[in-house]
Amino acid sequence: MQSILAVDDSASMRQMVAFTLKGAGYNVIEAADGQEALDKARGETVDLVLTDQNMPRMDGITLVQNLRSMAAYAATPILILTTESSAELKAKGKAAGATGWLVKPFDPSKLLDVVRKVIR
Amino acid sequence: MTTNHPTEQDASDAGCSAAQECAAIEADLERLKTIVNDAAGRLLGSFHEFASLEQKISRNLEERQRIESAIGSAVMALQFQDMATQLTHHAQRRLAALESCLRAMHGQTPVAKQLEHPQPVPQVGMSTGSVDLF
Repeated sequence: MQSILAVDDSASMRQMVAFTLKGAGYNVIEAADGQEALDKARGETVDLVLTDQNMPRMDGITLVQNLRSMAAYAATPILILTTESSAELKAKGKAAGATGWLVKPFDPSKLLDVVRKVIR
Repeated sequence: MTTNHPTEQDASDAGCSAAQECAAIEADLERLKTIVNDAAGRLLGSFHEFASLEQKISRNLEERQRIESAIGSAVMALQFQDMATQLTHHAQRRLAALESCLRAMHGQTPVAKQLEHPQPVPQVGMSTGSVDLF
């Protein structure tokens, strides 16, 4: 079973993401911010990271930068799922190494389409 | 005929009153966040209860598709808490910055707070957001 690391400081968002992904057969590991996600990513390798941008302790783009510096996550797809939609932030996400940028709220079927498209 | 021009004291009193109003609105927004979080928690609980029951009952294809569609819509709508909380928090920070400015004008605080982060939630509804793959 493929594993997805879902990162969001909103418990309700984590619940909706986990509900959607688990329903499609993925194993979901949850983290409440970028730092917790980084700690969990060091402990076990996942097949995809889906992260929020605005979070306490460590934001999504910083998480992407940290993960990309790790050999195990050099090629892992990383999607940013956020309320933010500015071209400037998207460019920063792309420069950090994000695979894609999704603006909230997400449609479950569209999210699954994107996950299936990028996950290996 | 005499004209009453506002004095410096009048302006200062008005600034102080406005700062107090800002503080009161900030407190109202905090209560709103509590109510939204409470309502969202209850809705999520009901949603998970329904979703778990739905999987145990076999139905025909059309009914299953209708239920799946309804659950998909609920998953989208239940994301309101995250957006509402971020938006409310941002409004509170803006009010706090305004309150600080007004109090500084009134001579109560020397340094005004600056709001550095732009609006984090530009959405005006709960329709699905965009997808960009790089």
